[in-house]
Amino acid sequence: MPLFHPASVQARLLSGDWTIFLVASLGVAVVMYALIILPAIVWRRRPDSGLPPQFNKNQRWSIVYIGVPFLLVAGLFVPSELRQKQVDAIASSPSVVVNVTGFRWSWRFEYPQSGVTVVGTPRTVPTLVLPLDETTQINLTSVDVDHSFWVPAFLFKRDALPGYDNHFDLTPTRIGEFRGVCSQFCGIDHAYMLFRVRVVPVATFARWSASKGRATL
Amino acid sequence: MIQWLTATDHKRIGIMYMVSTFFFFVVAGLLALVIRTQLAAPNLDIVSSHTYSQVFTLHGTAMVFLFVAPFGLGLANYLVPLQIGAPDMAFPRLNATSLWLFIFGGLTVLSGAVVAGGAAASGWSSYAPLSEIRISAGAGQDLWIIGILMVSIASILTAVNLMTTVFLLRAPGMTMWRMPIFTWEIVATSLLILMAFPPLASVLAMLLIDRHLGGHFFDPSQGGNVVLYQHLWWFFGHPEVYIMILPYFGIVTEVVAVFSRKPVFGYVELVLAAFAIAGLSMGVWAHHMFTTGAVNDAFFSATSFLIAIPTGVKFFNWIGTMWKGSIELTTPMLFALGFMLNFLIGGITGVMLASPPIDFDAHNSYFLVAHFHYVLGGGSLFAIFAGLFFWFPKVFGVQLSERLGKWFFWLFFLGFNLTFFPMHIMGLEGMPRRVVTYPNIEHLALLNGLATAGAFVIALAVVLFGFIVLLAFRKRVPVPNDPWGGYTLEWATSSPPPEFNFHSLPNISSERPVFDARQAAARAAEGLA
Repeated sequence: MPLFHPASVQARLLSGDWTIFLVASLGVAVVMYALIILPAIVWRRRPDSGLPPQFNKNQRWSIVYIGVPFLLVAGLFVPSELRQKQVDAIASSPSVVVNVTGFRWSWRFEYPQSGVTVVGTPRTVPTLVLPLDETTQINLTSVDVDHSFWVPAFLFKRDALPGYDNHFDLTPTRIGEFRGVCSQFCGIDHAYMLFRVRVVPVATFARWSASKGRATL
Repeated sequence: MIQWLTATDHKRIGIMYMVSTFFFFVVAGLLALVIRTQLAAPNLDIVSSHTYSQVFTLHGTAMVFLFVAPFGLGLANYLVPLQIGAPDMAFPRLNATSLWLFIFGGLTVLSGAVVAGGAAASGWSSYAPLSEIRISAGAGQDLWIIGILMVSIASILTAVNLMTTVFLLRAPGMTMWRMPIFTWEIVATSLLILMAFPPLASVLAMLLIDRHLGGHFFDPSQGGNVVLYQHLWWFFGHPEVYIMILPYFGIVTEVVAVFSRKPVFGYVELVLAAFAIAGLSMGVWAHHMFTTGAVNDAFFSATSFLIAIPTGVKFFNWIGTMWKGSIELTTPMLFALGFMLNFLIGGITGVMLASPPIDFDAHNSYFLVAHFHYVLGGGSLFAIFAGLFFWFPKVFGVQLSERLGKWFFWLFFLGFNLTFFPMHIMGLEGMPRRVVTYPNIEHLALLNGLATAGAFVIALAVVLFGFIVLLAFRKRVPVPNDPWGGYTLEWATSSPPPEFNFHSLPNISSERPVFDARQAAARAAEGLA
């Protein structure tokens, strides 16, 4: 599962946030399940049960059950917010820039520094080539409807919107080929609006760029 | 027949409202089976991509707009006048207008399926520009817009009617702070409808103007803005989530209290929590838009986290109500407990999705699909069945089988979790929502197989429910006015209630008038003995 094998610097941060929330969620779920199920067993009505004591609220308890959840969500908000800022941070001098354009139903990857352009179709999946351990800035937009650029291995997606540019950094940390999908419904071939992310060593990337994308990887 | 078609009595309108929402529920459920069949295994080609898009669009639209939200209004129509000791709604004819506007609105949406080009196919949220005429040219999209407009106007009129009824038609002694929690939840719901549905009507009108009158609201090449559509949609859409849950919090509260034989733990707190949720829900909409990169993530993340607190207050008050009670596990109580267990998971994943870093991964994946089905299916739908089993004897004067009801509960609970729990993992493994098929990678084949099997278990459970209802009408075992030991005024009248509801009302000096009357009668009997 990608969650346990984050493939970029940003994905490690995102995976850390997932971990915090999953642990907290599991704790809350166990306590609450017990509190919901136990009364139904312990105080189940028996033939001889009379009317139980007709008590209701106790002010002290309301302070606890408002206070504890408040501290919990406040405690979760802080790391979540810090990580969001780090993930959204954009390097001032990225090694590589790629202009990514979504269209019905594939992707165009344009490398302005080397002049390489890769365009896919629903039947020929395009490949986004990225250098290992280098920061790549993605400039993302769309020419028709809303799309979304999602690489599960990077635990990250961002929408490609017509008339609006999004910018984010990717710093891959693992060599390999990863699956990319469109995650905003965009019509008939939405499920086939796929791409590949190919992470290669810097030298290979340089060779590939110099050959205008013709060199085999 | 004519009597029903021309009815203005709130009970008849309530029944017709609920029955018609159940018709839409069955349609939406059958569409869900088509979805699950197509996704049963990787790379299947059972329905075409175009058909599939129409199927999930109508499934979502019907479940949200034509079932979960309006069922609450139908039940409110039936119950609120009874619970506050009123003879009818404040505006009976307006009430009939709402009902028929709703029914024909729903049918208008569905009628898209038989026109050229098919039904709307851009999702229940119909984001522009996908729903613009240059891309979705068919009349199906227009019928969808017009139908939803009719439904939204019906909802606004019903909200006005319910609020007026509650404020002006309460029986002597029925002060606001003695109203049943269900009625309070309906006040909060109506308030939300009045705030959320006008923006919905606006965005639909704007889309219609773009499509047919040369507008450019959502066309960036002419200065329009596609993010604006999402803002308007979710400014309605998030309050709508609470419009689809607050009435059901009310059902669960009533059921838990009656079957624990105790008063609700914190009456005032439950009411305040409902209004806190309603208020906060107006300020969280852009958590649906974290991945657009066009909103202030910190603000919307913080407000979304805060909603967990009043929701927690609800949970702790239900637990406090059960605490040291005398708990009877009837079918309604089982469904109320099932509601809590399922809704808890939906609530927890809701807090997770409110964290932008998690949302960057999980948004629009099957994790999100799992989340909102735990809220609306595991939550609202379970509460709907709790309410149906609870009030069925009051509404129809016949009892639903408790024995079969419990079978129904376990079948449904099992089927539900089998269908939707695996979807969390599908999302984590990289499966986006609204895809017609998926590759055979990771564990997607196994997980989808489980979900499809679960969907058919749910279908079986719903068939069993239909059988339980038929059986009740066949056997016609008469029920007393108050079969459960109820608390609120609807249990003080006959089953079913007469025209104008009450021949006489008990003394109202607390939020449990029928309980008080029963205790007084028991004391009097003891005195005589």
